[in-house]
Amino acid sequence: MTTIVLVVGLVIYVALYMVYGKKLERDVVKASDSNKTPAERMYDGVDYVAAKRPVLFGHHFASIAGAAPIIGPVLAMAWGWVPALLWVWFGNIFIGAVHDYLALMASVRYDGKSIQFVAADLITNRTGKLFYWLVLFLLILVIGAFGAVLGGMFVGSPAVPSAYILKLVAALILGVLLYRTKMNFGLATGIGVIMLALAIWGGTRIPITASYGTWMVVMFFYIIIASAIPVNVLLQPRDYLNSWLLYFGLIIGGLAAIFSFTGFSAPAFTSFAPIVSGGKATPFWPAIPLIIACGSLSGFHALVGSGTTSKQLEKESHGLAIGYGAMLTEGFLSTLVVVAVAGFGLALMTDKGMTISVAGWAKEYTPAMMGSYPKAAMFTSSYAAMVASTWLNFIPTEIVKVIAGMWVASFAMTTLDTTNRLGRYTVSELMLPVKEKNEKVYNFVTNRWIASLIPAAIGIYLAWSGNFTILWPSFGSANQLIASIVLLTAASWVVKRQKAKPAIVLVPAYLLWITVTASIIWFTVVILPDTIVANPVTGITVLVIEVIMLVMNFVFMADFLKSRKKTLAPDA
Amino acid sequence: MKRHGFVNWIKHILSTIDTSHREQAAGLTEFEARELENIFVLLLMGSFTGIPAPPSFIAAELLPHLQHEIKVLKFRAENASDSLAEMAGLLGID
Repeated sequence: MTTIVLVVGLVIYVALYMVYGKKLERDVVKASDSNKTPAERMYDGVDYVAAKRPVLFGHHFASIAGAAPIIGPVLAMAWGWVPALLWVWFGNIFIGAVHDYLALMASVRYDGKSIQFVAADLITNRTGKLFYWLVLFLLILVIGAFGAVLGGMFVGSPAVPSAYILKLVAALILGVLLYRTKMNFGLATGIGVIMLALAIWGGTRIPITASYGTWMVVMFFYIIIASAIPVNVLLQPRDYLNSWLLYFGLIIGGLAAIFSFTGFSAPAFTSFAPIVSGGKATPFWPAIPLIIACGSLSGFHALVGSGTTSKQLEKESHGLAIGYGAMLTEGFLSTLVVVAVAGFGLALMTDKGMTISVAGWAKEYTPAMMGSYPKAAMFTSSYAAMVASTWLNFIPTEIVKVIAGMWVASFAMTTLDTTNRLGRYTVSELMLPVKEKNEKVYNFVTNRWIASLIPAAIGIYLAWSGNFTILWPSFGSANQLIASIVLLTAASWVVKRQKAKPAIVLVPAYLLWITVTASIIWFTVVILPDTIVANPVTGITVLVIEVIMLVMNFVFMADFLKSRKKTLAPDA
Repeated sequence: MKRHGFVNWIKHILSTIDTSHREQAAGLTEFEARELENIFVLLLMGSFTGIPAPPSFIAAELLPHLQHEIKVLKFRAENASDSLAEMAGLLGID
C-alpha cells in the first residue's frame, strides 16, 4: 500500500503538472519567452541575475520546504490517511501550486516587485500595508508553534539536541574553513558533510537530557544571538549543511517508501470531527487548512517567489517548473509523511504501550501524540521504521531516527532564528507612522535588540505554555490568511492585467477565503474560550491576534470586491 | 554506452544540486556584501543624504567607475520600501 500510494501520488502530480499546470501557463499566465524577464530586462549583476532553471528550482525549493509540511500531515492523520492525503493533493494541485506560480509570475511582470506591491497596485494601498501586520502575527505564531515542536522533540529524543549542537559546531568550523582559510569549496563541502555525519552519530552517543522549560530558555537566547551575528559565521554554513540533509532525507525516504511494500495500519477514515485542536472535536471542514498548511498551500511561499525567485528567472517558460513544480515537490514530501505514518505509526504507538486502536483512532490519536509520544517523534520513528523495512536497513535505525529528527529540528530552528531577523524588519516598518509623532518611542521600539526581543519573547512565551494544539492552528490561520489574500491579488492580476478568464483562480480564491474565514471563526468561538480559562495569557494573546486577523480578512475582501469595479491604467 | 549516459546523468544531477546549494548559500553573503557596497556608494555620493562628499576632483575621477553602482542604486532606491519579500526569500521561514 505504501508503494501504491506513493506511485499513484507521483503519477497524479506529473499528470496534473502536464495538464493543469500547462493550461495555467498557456491560458492564464500566457507565458512567452519573447517577454524578457526582470533578470534580463533589468540585469544588474547583483539582484537581477538569471539563474539556470534547475539551480533556481533548488533555491526556491530549499526556501519553501521546512518543518511545517512534515508536522501538519502528522497531525491530520487524526482524520485518517485518506482525508489527509486528499487535502495534500487537492490543495497542492488546485490551490497551493496555483498560488505559488501566479505570485511568481505576477511579480515577474511587475519587474520583480513583491506580492504586497502588486496587491497595493491592484487592490488598495491598505492591502499592501496590512500585509506587514499579518506577517508579524505569522512570525510570532511560528515561533510559538515551532518552539513547542522543538521543545517536545528535544525532551522526547535527547539525541537530537546534542546532534544539533554538534552540527552548529560543524557549521562554525565550515564557516572558518570557507572564509578564513579559503579552502577549496569541494573539499570544505566534503569535510562539512563528514562533520554532519559525525554530529548525527555523536548525538546518539551523548544525548542531552533537559526539561521542556530549560529548552525554551535555551531557544530564546539562541534565536536572539543567532539573529544578531553575521550570517556567514553560522547561518549560512548551517543552512548549507541543512540543504544536504533535506535532499538526503528526501532521497532515502522516497526510496524507502517505494520499496517498503507495506500495508497501511492506520485507518483510512475515522470521523468527520475527531479530536485534534484544543482537545475538542475538530471538523475536517473548515479546520483542515489550519492543520495542514505548508504541505498543501502556504502564503509564505508568495513572499519567497516574489522576493528573490522572480528576480532570477531566466525565461518565462521556466516559471511553471519553479513556481508550480516546487510546490508539487513539497506536496510529495507531505505525501511521504502520510505514507510513513499510515504504514508504520500504529505499530510504533502500540510498541510504546499506548492505548490506541483503529476503532478508537479518532479520539485516541491526538491525545496520544500530545502525551508521552511527541508529534515529531511520530514522523521520525515512522520514517526510521519505513527505511528499516527495505533494503536500506543496512543503515542503523537509531541513526535514521536522528537523521529524521535533525531534518525536522534543523528546519524548525532555522525558522526560529530567521523569523527574528524578519520580525525586526517588520516591527521597524510597522512603527514608521509613530516616528513623526514620537521619535523616542520609535527609536526605542526599533532598536536592534528590542525589535528582536518583541517577536521572540511573545513567541517563546506562547511555546512555553506547551499548548501545541492551540498554537499550531493559530500559525496555520495566519499562514492561510496570507495565502487567501495572495490568491485574491492573483485573481485581480489575472482579470485586470492578463485579461484572462479568471475562474481557474477565482474559484480557489473564494473557496480558500470562505474556508479560512469559517475556520478562524470556528477556532475563535469553539476552541479558544476553554483555552482562555485554562491558560489566560496564552488564550487571550491568541484570541486578540485571531480577532484582529479576522477583521483584516473582511477588510481585504471588501477592498478586493471594491477594486474589481475599478479600471487600471494600461501599464503595470 | 547506456551506462556511460546514466553516469553522466547522475553527475549532471549532483552538479546541479551542488551549484544550487552553493548559490543558495552565497545569496546570504551577497546580501551582506550589498550593504557594504551601499556604504561605498554613500561615501562617494553622500552629498545626496547630507554626508560630506569627498573632494570634487576625487569624486569626478571615480564617478565613471560608479556607472554600474548607480544603476544598482537606482533599482534599490525603487525597491527600498519593498524588501520584506526579498528577505523572506533569502531567509526562509516555513
